[in-house]
Amino acid sequence: MKRLILAICCCTVFVCAAASGAGAADKVVFQKNSLYQYISVIEDPAKRERYIINNRRDLIQGGMAIDAPNRLILEYTRMAFMTLAYLGREPRSVLFVGLGAGSMPRYLNRHYPEAEIDVVEIDPDMVEVAKKYFSFSEGPRMKVTVNDGRVFLKRTKKKYDIIFLDAYQGGEIPFHLTTVEFLREVKARLKDDGVVVSNIISPFKNKFFDAMIITHEAVFPQLHIFKGRQSDNFEFIAPMKPHDLAGIAVTAQKIQEAKKLDINLAIIATSGGEASEYRTHARVLTDDFAPVNLYQHMQSPGK
Amino acid sequence: MIRFIVFICGAVVMSFEILGSRVLAPNFGNSIFVWGSLISVFLAGLSAGYFLGGRAADINPSSRKLGLIISAAALLLVTFPLYGIPVCDRVFEQVPGLRSGPLVASVILFFVPSVFLGAVSPYTARLMICSLHTSGKTIGSLYALSTLGSIAGTLLTSFYLITLAGVQTLIVIQGIVLLLVSVPLFFMKLSCRIGRTSGAE
Repeated sequence: MKRLILAICCCTVFVCAAASGAGAADKVVFQKNSLYQYISVIEDPAKRERYIINNRRDLIQGGMAIDAPNRLILEYTRMAFMTLAYLGREPRSVLFVGLGAGSMPRYLNRHYPEAEIDVVEIDPDMVEVAKKYFSFSEGPRMKVTVNDGRVFLKRTKKKYDIIFLDAYQGGEIPFHLTTVEFLREVKARLKDDGVVVSNIISPFKNKFFDAMIITHEAVFPQLHIFKGRQSDNFEFIAPMKPHDLAGIAVTAQKIQEAKKLDINLAIIATSGGEASEYRTHARVLTDDFAPVNLYQHMQSPGK
Repeated sequence: MIRFIVFICGAVVMSFEILGSRVLAPNFGNSIFVWGSLISVFLAGLSAGYFLGGRAADINPSSRKLGLIISAAALLLVTFPLYGIPVCDRVFEQVPGLRSGPLVASVILFFVPSVFLGAVSPYTARLMICSLHTSGKTIGSLYALSTLGSIAGTLLTSFYLITLAGVQTLIVIQGIVLLLVSVPLFFMKLSCRIGRTSGAE
């Protein structure tokens, strides 16, 4: 019995240690068990950066440099703006599915103040956190709706120039935001020259990565994949009208100079490739068949 | 045999509930409201089933009637692909509320089958209680078996079955399994006379 109690005590200590999150040096600013996740806001005092981490893991959901809140510190958030080159004109209406720290909508709003930005976020606490700790604010041209992303897309009558898909719960995309039916609903809400970008995390080439390629290709005429250099993120960019990568690189350079963007779109353009370079064996994900969580832990059979 | 049937019915209830979340998600999302609706509707169905099953079991109980209860649930599951998605689409259009949408859809799709499946446990208990001295043991072990079945159904579905086949296919297969286990009940001559002696031993 004593041994049992000791064992339980040890476990408790271990769990508490694990719960303290990223590094010992990080300062926990805020913690809350929300309806959907365990949200912690932590600060790295050395780097002067603030992050949202999830579910007691180190998976970063969003981040901000405290002294330079307008910089995009996460690589994938910079990569996602390659969509501007596909659109090739000023965006007028943009949708973000998944708010996180809100750095992307904030960045877009700063550089394109005329654009109407909608954000749909399922977790009301995440909206509060973004406002309180990450300088996010709503305005006449930036609105947040608390709802499920798919339900929002099905209900809205609006059409968008760019749709950013970045809805994660823990480390996973909820299955109903991965299927061919969902992507068709996304496509139906894009303008004729619109573009969608999906943030796909794949630390190793897993079966989910393969399935997402096939599923995007089933809906959109083209899919380009941009690979993170410092992270495990891939940005899947699917435009309504096909573009060639060389042309995209040129447009990216022009936009970067014209808009004085602090992200190097021209360099990011060189990390892009045709989806066919990743040709793999997988099934299209459907509302009926989408084992997302399991596929994320399975090695891709293709490579 | 009859214990095995109780186990299977327990497994199907929870497996169907897990799959139910996948049926609702395309229209109603994955919000806390969807899970809340789904779980409470299943529990409401089960409790109605326990109540009605217990009542029905007091009127000439027979294994044939138990077979009918299970095959009624089976029929609803086998035909699910015919009405599952159309019902969700329709409710999505008619009921705009974030909470009421998934709740209404859950009631239409999941309440009746869980009533039938809930009725199985008390009905079986009635059939099996042939000695008042051990009725506690009989009821206890049936509840344990039913719940063990539910655990098996939950784990199997969420860990493995979801990767093997589509949601609609899995629901149909569960219906077929229910039909198969109900067949022997029509040939068993299981009945108890204890009710008629009103327990005077």
